[in-house]
Amino acid sequence: MTGQRLKRAAPFVVALGIWFFPVPAGLTAPAWHLFAVFAAAIASVLIGAFPLLTASMLAVGAIVMTGTIKPEQAYSGFANSSVLLVVIAFIVAQAVVKSGLGRRVSLFMVSRFGGSSLGLAYSLVLTDAAIAPAFPSNTARGGVLFPIVLSVAQGAGSKPEDPEGRRLGGYLMFCSMAGLAVSSALWMTATSANPIAVQIVQQAGLEIDFAKWLLASAVPSLVAILLLPLIVAKIFPPRVGKTPEAPAAARTELAGMGGMSRDEWITAVTFLLMVAGWIFGNQLQLNTTSVAFMGFGVLLFLGVITVDDITKQGDTLVTFFWLAVLFAMSAQLNELGFMGYVGERLASGLGGLSWTTMYVTLIVLYVLIHYMFVSQTSQVLALFGVFLDVGTKGGVPLPLMAFGLLFASSYFSVITPQGGSQNIIFAASGYLTQRELYTLGALITLAFLAVYLLIGSPWVYFVMR
Amino acid sequence: MRCQLLLGLAFAAAACGPAAESPRRVAAPGEYLEFEGSWNAAGSRHTIPLGENRRGSIVALKGTMLLAGPGRPGVGFHAEVIGLVDSATGFQGRSVWTDERGDQLFSELRGEGTAAKNRVTGTVLSGTGRYAGVTGSYEFSWQWVMDGEDGAVHGRAVDLKGRVRPGPAAAGPPR
Repeated sequence: MTGQRLKRAAPFVVALGIWFFPVPAGLTAPAWHLFAVFAAAIASVLIGAFPLLTASMLAVGAIVMTGTIKPEQAYSGFANSSVLLVVIAFIVAQAVVKSGLGRRVSLFMVSRFGGSSLGLAYSLVLTDAAIAPAFPSNTARGGVLFPIVLSVAQGAGSKPEDPEGRRLGGYLMFCSMAGLAVSSALWMTATSANPIAVQIVQQAGLEIDFAKWLLASAVPSLVAILLLPLIVAKIFPPRVGKTPEAPAAARTELAGMGGMSRDEWITAVTFLLMVAGWIFGNQLQLNTTSVAFMGFGVLLFLGVITVDDITKQGDTLVTFFWLAVLFAMSAQLNELGFMGYVGERLASGLGGLSWTTMYVTLIVLYVLIHYMFVSQTSQVLALFGVFLDVGTKGGVPLPLMAFGLLFASSYFSVITPQGGSQNIIFAASGYLTQRELYTLGALITLAFLAVYLLIGSPWVYFVMR
Repeated sequence: MRCQLLLGLAFAAAACGPAAESPRRVAAPGEYLEFEGSWNAAGSRHTIPLGENRRGSIVALKGTMLLAGPGRPGVGFHAEVIGLVDSATGFQGRSVWTDERGDQLFSELRGEGTAAKNRVTGTVLSGTGRYAGVTGSYEFSWQWVMDGEDGAVHGRAVDLKGRVRPGPAAAGPPR
């Protein structure tokens, strides 16, 4: 009891301690105070003092009431297109399940790969890696994968409310979420942050095209993809091993389902059109989120999902609240110069190191700093150029530094559940607790870091000479 | 996990701790002190067409400016700029730098306004608090400027070099 009280008091102590500490030279009071509240909110979740929703609601109330930032800045996340895309993708996924299409897809997948939980995980991760180059938005890609993962988990009898049965779903959810991070590092066109970072590298004097990126990324990314389901199974065992009879049972059940129903057809066609809109969005000048809204509207219009279905999605509202608040707070920390300040001060404090030590230190710092970001693109825009500059001036070969940071800008997204908007769809499924998400995120990021540093760096150094 | 949290806070604390100081020079009366640095900025840009191959933009940018050198007026500032860019005639803007105490330095900016030529020069006009009476000048160029999500624009200014002459009220403690 006392321990729990102490735990709940700790975030307030952290917030007040930082708040009243003298503002460091070079920062302004609002930036420092916002950091105090943000750090306390994240700390409260990490130590299990509060759920993320409680922490973020207290945080947003505090920063607006103290005048740290303006209300319109604090609430801006509620109108952010990435946040809205996550919410809509989550609801559309429920339509895939409700219509029966999800069950059909899940049975198909189990019939092909369902001999073991590992087989299912590999099929999901490899499917994502295969479709990734066509999707410039990894959030949209998450929206495509999530209904499949959800259907497979539910089809296997794994439910979030079942303490033991949820493990298979949790395992598949996390593998898929982390798979998105690596597939984004594998292909230059797999996330919107990559082309932005490539432009910054270009300004530094290195041209990178699709083929050069793939050459550099192929070896470390494929190793990471192959290791991912194995490592997650070790850390978070799904407790479902080999199920050799499952594929045959799934085939029988699939045959028993008969032809596709009206709702399944509507959902399938709508979903395919949404996927097309996401793939060709740039060429057709379609906003990714508007495609999701239109698909959602069509499913409502044709009665596949109803208002009643949406009112039952309480988790979606919870996710919307905390994601919007954290998104806005992280964006404001960036806008007030805190992120740039920390990044620049850390990076510029590395003078005098050998270039290899500097390279490793910069990459590790760049990845760790992502604890404070809720968007990959924001970190790329705020810190990529700084770290690239410091590294190359410190003697790190430009291609090595550039690719090290480029890959990190994707794989670091799994470090926290809010580290990339694509994560949220999986994190909000309820299959994993917040603590499990943070623990798995930290360990898998560490594994990715090791793969990209130990295998990726020599490979890039070798092929880019 | 708690270790990571502590590690993260330690990194943040290390980053926010005292900068590696080069000994600060005290200026003789009328003497200029030199500094250099960089500026990471983010904000908004609204552009209108002004005929063939000509565009006009209003920009509002803010971010962290970190300075180095014994003559720097401060370790770093939160720097804000508003300005008008005409691709034919260049850039004109106004800037305010705010330090951790809330003291401010005001300057006006002029420069080139194209991607190829983007050198900007600033004239320090005056300041408040410890910067009262400060005058000087500085210049920088944009390493890159690009559009981010939701209409935001981001940029990094490098080769920031300048000099300031402290005012009579700027006799604060060495920093």
